[in-house]
Amino acid sequence: MRKLTAAKVAALLVASAVLTGCAAGEPRDLSPMVTAEPPMPANATINPKIEAPGGGEDDCGDPTVSLKPQGTAIPPGSTMDKIRKRKKLVVGVDQNTFLFGFRNPTTGQLEGFDIDIAKAIAVKLLGHPSAAQFRAITSQQRIDALKNGKVDIVVRTMTINCERRKDIEFSSVYYVAGQRVLVKKTSDYDSLKDLGGKRVCATSGSTSLRNIAQSPAKPIPVAVDNWSDCLVMMQQGQVEAISTDDTILAGMAQQDPTLKVVGERFTEEPYGIGIPKENKDMVRYVNAVLDEIRGGEWQKSYNKWLKPVLGSDSPPKPKYR
Amino acid sequence: MPISTAAQPHPPGQLPPPGHPQGDSRGKSGLRGVVGLAGEAMRTVLRSWTTTPGRLALIATGLVLLTLITGLTAAVMTQQKTDAVSELTDRREPLAAAAQQVYRALSDADATASSSFLSTGEEPPALRARFENDIAQAGVFLARAASDPDAGPEVSRQIDIIGKYVPVYAELVGTARANNRQGFPAGAAYLREASELMQSTILPAAEALYEADTKALAERQAEARSVPWLTAVLVIGLLAALIATQLYLKRRTNRVFNIGLVVATGAIVVGLLWSSAALITQSVLIGSSESQGSEQVDRLVRARIAGLKARVDETLLLVSRGEGEQYAKEFAKEAQEMAGKDGNGGLLAEARAAADEQDELAETLDKAQASATAWLKAHDKVRKLDGEGEYLEAASVAIDDTREDSSARAFNQLDVDLRTAILHGRQSFFDNASDAGAALTLLPWGWVALGLIAAGGVAVGMYERLREYR
Repeated sequence: MRKLTAAKVAALLVASAVLTGCAAGEPRDLSPMVTAEPPMPANATINPKIEAPGGGEDDCGDPTVSLKPQGTAIPPGSTMDKIRKRKKLVVGVDQNTFLFGFRNPTTGQLEGFDIDIAKAIAVKLLGHPSAAQFRAITSQQRIDALKNGKVDIVVRTMTINCERRKDIEFSSVYYVAGQRVLVKKTSDYDSLKDLGGKRVCATSGSTSLRNIAQSPAKPIPVAVDNWSDCLVMMQQGQVEAISTDDTILAGMAQQDPTLKVVGERFTEEPYGIGIPKENKDMVRYVNAVLDEIRGGEWQKSYNKWLKPVLGSDSPPKPKYR
Repeated sequence: MPISTAAQPHPPGQLPPPGHPQGDSRGKSGLRGVVGLAGEAMRTVLRSWTTTPGRLALIATGLVLLTLITGLTAAVMTQQKTDAVSELTDRREPLAAAAQQVYRALSDADATASSSFLSTGEEPPALRARFENDIAQAGVFLARAASDPDAGPEVSRQIDIIGKYVPVYAELVGTARANNRQGFPAGAAYLREASELMQSTILPAAEALYEADTKALAERQAEARSVPWLTAVLVIGLLAALIATQLYLKRRTNRVFNIGLVVATGAIVVGLLWSSAALITQSVLIGSSESQGSEQVDRLVRARIAGLKARVDETLLLVSRGEGEQYAKEFAKEAQEMAGKDGNGGLLAEARAAADEQDELAETLDKAQASATAWLKAHDKVRKLDGEGEYLEAASVAIDDTREDSSARAFNQLDVDLRTAILHGRQSFFDNASDAGAALTLLPWGWVALGLIAAGGVAVGMYERLREYR
């Protein structure tokens, strides 16, 4: 009897040893922690290095004062003469900003307020709107494209300021926008002040991005190539807000009914046409064309693109020296 | 012939009795017991060696064992070779083919999505169907490529990346489509994001997967045609031992032939000749499966991948509208890798040079080179039109495959030619590898039989001699 018990104990011990031996293993790891990080637009950078404005801001006086127009005659040898000879006006534009410069997917053509202004110049200079050859450039590329002579003019929601004036010339002001903030309709944010520590998107090389970075509330700036990339990040929940000119924000709000533009304009952004610094004759010519269209075509284009979202407005008064 | 005293036959009864293990080995640890036993056995063998019948018995035992081991090793080796060859055709090559299909489908999806973006008005149904087919194929082929039980962690990692992000990619393109339909530029932004995901994350993983599978295939081919040194040494050693034994017996007994041992030697010689012939044939055929099959396929696949990359660059160049210099550079690089500067160089020319003896493939590759030349010409036209500001015309030449002069048509034709050529290369691979497998037919069983015959021969032959001492 005792022996039997001993045998039983031994058997139990062996069995438990076998069992614990089995339990020591694990099922094959199937990586239960699979997470797909949501993708970001190409070249999106969170908290990028932003160059401090070089030198004082006010060293050029009022940057919006441009060269006085001297009619639309084209003297031989002038910049306009060269453009006329090659029969193409190369214009740096945006193809991603709704209402200002964007590609209409139905026609493949570029459309918008900026595009209309560029076409008006092409019509005056070369007789036909299709003489404007558009090159899509990013905010960042605007000044280099002018300096390298890749484009004749840039019509791309470009704010006139003293820093840029060091590198390029500007036409007279053709529109005045102001920076505001785009947030979700369901959010409680009223301005940039409420967005401390939150991600706020703008394009690289834009004045808007710098304004976000310099905001005392210290939001985290997020830089992308194109304005619609900001909208994509907003829709993917990767940024809390977008802050730039009210004009651009209005175009985004049009594309997404769950977003709203909030707060007061906290900057003034006078848009000008960028022109290479050495082409003073072109600046005068463009100003002459702008003077001509301020009455009719400007209003027509404004009413078509911007009035429905921004209300009635009239062209800003040019200042000349 | 002098006869040494040591070789004098002794009656078996006078053999010194094998020593019994004494009490000293008992009660000690198992290891010591084993060592003691081994020493004991060693002493017994050495003692047996001093008498002729003992020596003959030892030689007989050794020879029979060596014969059985050799026969078994040779049988196992040839079976492994046969298995290695069928693994090539049944698993490794289909895996590599599936991996390249994953790459092709995904890359084509990206080029197609960009083309849809360039088209105006309603998205062309053909492009949409092509995109959806590409995504479906990518999923199916990924599942095939993933069905490799030998996949290492690196391969698994690439498969995980593709599996994780392809649905995300497809969703982004869907969102782009919905925005495009409403005329919103956000559509283009979603498409750019999708393309970035594809180019920077998914396609590199697909390329790494293809490369890993191709490398595994090449390694298995090298393994399948390697020389089986262990077996070779055993067979040659066995033959030497058989001949030495016969010489020794001849010296001892003055009998020239021992039938049993002659039969054994004959069986092993037959095995050696058969194996040599079969293995050399197999090795040559595996070599052909490389040079005409898998290496050619790899060249063509790389040409196809370069072509797909160039096609994506060509469409993105137009999507970026004017600021696409980086795409122009990448196009030039990929196109040159694929077909040289004028369509007559690069990987296509290499493949063509390697296909000189295969008329059908050569013909297909001639066509592919012509398509590549046509594409490069059409691409120059796209660039020229775009440079002149004829953007919409340039886009039309790039994507409208109903136009004779479009790069879409030339590219599609090139892709069809390359697909045909790749299929041809795969067939060559399969034929050669299958023949290589056939060359080994029955050889494993042959070795089992020959090994048994030889062992029997040795046993009978040696028994006859041993009997003379009874």
